Amino acid sequence: MKTNICFTHRELVEKSKLGDRNSQFQLYEHYVDAMYNVSMRMLCNKEDAEDTVQDSFVEAFKNLGNFRYESTFGSWLKRIVINKSINHLKLKRIPFLPIVDHEYHLAEEPIEDVKEIDIEKVKRGIKLLPPGYQQIIHLYLIEGYDHEEIGEVLNISKSTSKSQYHRAKKKLLDVIKEM
Amino acid sequence: MDYFEKHIRNNKALFDEHQADRSKMWAKIESELSHSKPKAVPLWRSPLFRVAASIVLVLFLSSLIGIAVYDRYPSNGQNSVVSQELMDIDMHYSNLVRHQVQLVKDHPDLSQQDKEQFLSFMDELDEEYKTLKLEMKKNLGNERVLEAIIGNYKKRIELIENLLRQINDSKMINDDYGYSL
Repeated sequence: MKTNICFTHRELVEKSKLGDRNSQFQLYEHYVDAMYNVSMRMLCNKEDAEDTVQDSFVEAFKNLGNFRYESTFGSWLKRIVINKSINHLKLKRIPFLPIVDHEYHLAEEPIEDVKEIDIEKVKRGIKLLPPGYQQIIHLYLIEGYDHEEIGEVLNISKSTSKSQYHRAKKKLLDVIKEM
Repeated sequence: MDYFEKHIRNNKALFDEHQADRSKMWAKIESELSHSKPKAVPLWRSPLFRVAASIVLVLFLSSLIGIAVYDRYPSNGQNSVVSQELMDIDMHYSNLVRHQVQLVKDHPDLSQQDKEQFLSFMDELDEEYKTLKLEMKKNLGNERVLEAIIGNYKKRIELIENLLRQINDSKMINDDYGYSL
């Protein structure tokens, strides 16, 4: 029998909807590290990430009645964390989009396919990118969002997301090559 | 998706390099949740309330329609009072007429022919009265019908009184003839 992945932790979610603090704590335990890392990748600041994750859990538990299992609880919670992180960047006036000509989608230069790549180098390379490039690399490669979802989160078009990701990836590979 | 992308996605767990301060963060979350008021579900959003409201609405509309239909028929409080008054009047006059007709029937000085002639007049007035009463059932508030009914009674009583007066007058004349000085 096929199990619907959207119903993961359903019992805990349902009890949490009723305000059961123990179930809420168990959900928190399951997801807090993952959410903290999502926020840390976007904000690069421990205190800001903690505040954002705390606010996200509070908002999630308060609005759990609106959760209808259209995705997993984890995906739903991650979207809250990402939206709050983007809002935080906006408040701090940190560019979450590359400032280069993102309205003009010039012909994309082909990227050489890379074999054998060290993950540690990738991690360091991402940190050397401009903040806008970092966000789009994180959202696409690590959070697993497609360009449509990135467009919704960053309030840009799907084609802008595609072209910006292409530039960010090329820049990242250039940075890694120089290491 | 090229090798680079697949490689990163397959190893994305390696990017989770931070550990959250779980107890500190939970303490803040719990405190926020405890301080916030329990979310009040507006009464109108409760399914039970919606069902109850629908029933009340249906009953209300039914009663409105009922009142509108009921009002077309003469059965409200005011009409029942009028109806009672009319029944009292009707009973009074019909008793009076019945009594006087009986007097005519029992009168020893009237011939059978006079009695029958008188009673046939009364029957005609009776028929007219029945028609008026049917009309009255259809339209209780019609003053002209009411006046016609009362007029019908008055005519019958007048007819009886005239007849009795004539009988008495002729009796007196006959009695006068009896006294010859």
